[in-house]
Amino acid sequence: MAEENGSNLKQFTDGVVANNPVLVQLLGMCPTLAVTNSVENAIVMGAAATFVVVMSNLITSLLRNLIKPHVRILIFTLTIATFVTIADLTLKAYMYKVSQQLGAFIPLIIVNCMIICRAEVVAIKNGVGRSLADAFGIGLGFTLALAILGVIREWLGAGTITFPGFAPIAVMPDAFTANGHNWIIMILPPGAFLTLGAVVAIVNQLRMKSEGGAA
Amino acid sequence: MSIGSLIGIFIGVALVNNLVFSGFLGICPFLGVSRKVDMAFGMGCAVTFVITVSGIVTWLIVHLILYPLSQAVFQDPAMLNFLKYVAFIMVIASMVQLVEMYLRKFFPPLYTAFGVFLPLITTNCAILGACLYIDMKPETQNLLPAATYAFGGGIGFMMAITIMAGIREHIRFSSVPKCLQGAGITLLVAGILALAFTGFTGIGK
Repeated sequence: MAEENGSNLKQFTDGVVANNPVLVQLLGMCPTLAVTNSVENAIVMGAAATFVVVMSNLITSLLRNLIKPHVRILIFTLTIATFVTIADLTLKAYMYKVSQQLGAFIPLIIVNCMIICRAEVVAIKNGVGRSLADAFGIGLGFTLALAILGVIREWLGAGTITFPGFAPIAVMPDAFTANGHNWIIMILPPGAFLTLGAVVAIVNQLRMKSEGGAA
Repeated sequence: MSIGSLIGIFIGVALVNNLVFSGFLGICPFLGVSRKVDMAFGMGCAVTFVITVSGIVTWLIVHLILYPLSQAVFQDPAMLNFLKYVAFIMVIASMVQLVEMYLRKFFPPLYTAFGVFLPLITTNCAILGACLYIDMKPETQNLLPAATYAFGGGIGFMMAITIMAGIREHIRFSSVPKCLQGAGITLLVAGILALAFTGFTGIGK
């Protein structure tokens, strides 16, 4: 039992760091680029995706002996679509403003390859405990990656940092935001590509260093 | 619906609000299948085809089945809206399957050309994204504008992925820093391309 707990813990931490879905596996790129223009959007998106991946892994893992291999993708997609609908309606009810800003990207969690990938790689083959540990790890890793990008982009683009449910906190001197001197490009689409490219390069550099050090 | 407004919708979605560069849709194939121009062009054609067909079919399902059914049962056309996402993804998955079977039977050469890409398209968010935008936007509530929007979106995606592949074929011969190789440099190039595409802002309005 202790050993199983250990492997579950490893499954969890792997999802956050070593197999980070965004920065290492490069999965779920579309929401990563689209919603990281503010920290608030990024964290809410991460939370919604975490909820969906946890529930989808739970259901898939419970049904794993009933699902026939040739219809499995369809079952995964329908399970995910159901929970995305729940997440979407909940956000519309309790966080209307954020849900308007995220727009189509909440329903687009359905085709987020990160979630189908977890169902296919882990949940269909493993028990509930392991699948849940994996889902929480991946969800947290996704949220963290989005939050990192959100902090960089909002900091440089708008000079503020906004946590969900709070007013924006100014983190740059007034001269930065006055007279439109802020780097508006960081909030616009090109900034998303440039920031993600730079962050992926830094992560690659760190990984190559640590692998070189270990070898 | 005048021809001018249809052209406006087409230019709007293909250039100004390009699905890849300003809508962030279909990034996975955009990064994954853009190593060679011919592969990228094939993927672009397959996506354009599926996006147009699914755009039309989801429009038909929403306006001819969901709204009337909900009106008949609940006296309110919006009551069944929670079924939309499940309906959309079912339509896209089965459209891809149908297109695959149809091509295999009637256009074998095209099928072998598209072959590998077709199953991948189900999880291409450009398709679901275009269907969702058609459903949300007030100007695409009729069939013809909806079809134009879907086709324009597909053409925009094809253009973006082909341009990217052309650039990546050249990048292969230049010395890129080791940590940037692969996804890093592709994302940076995409950022510069997106910067170029923001130059279209304001056209067609």
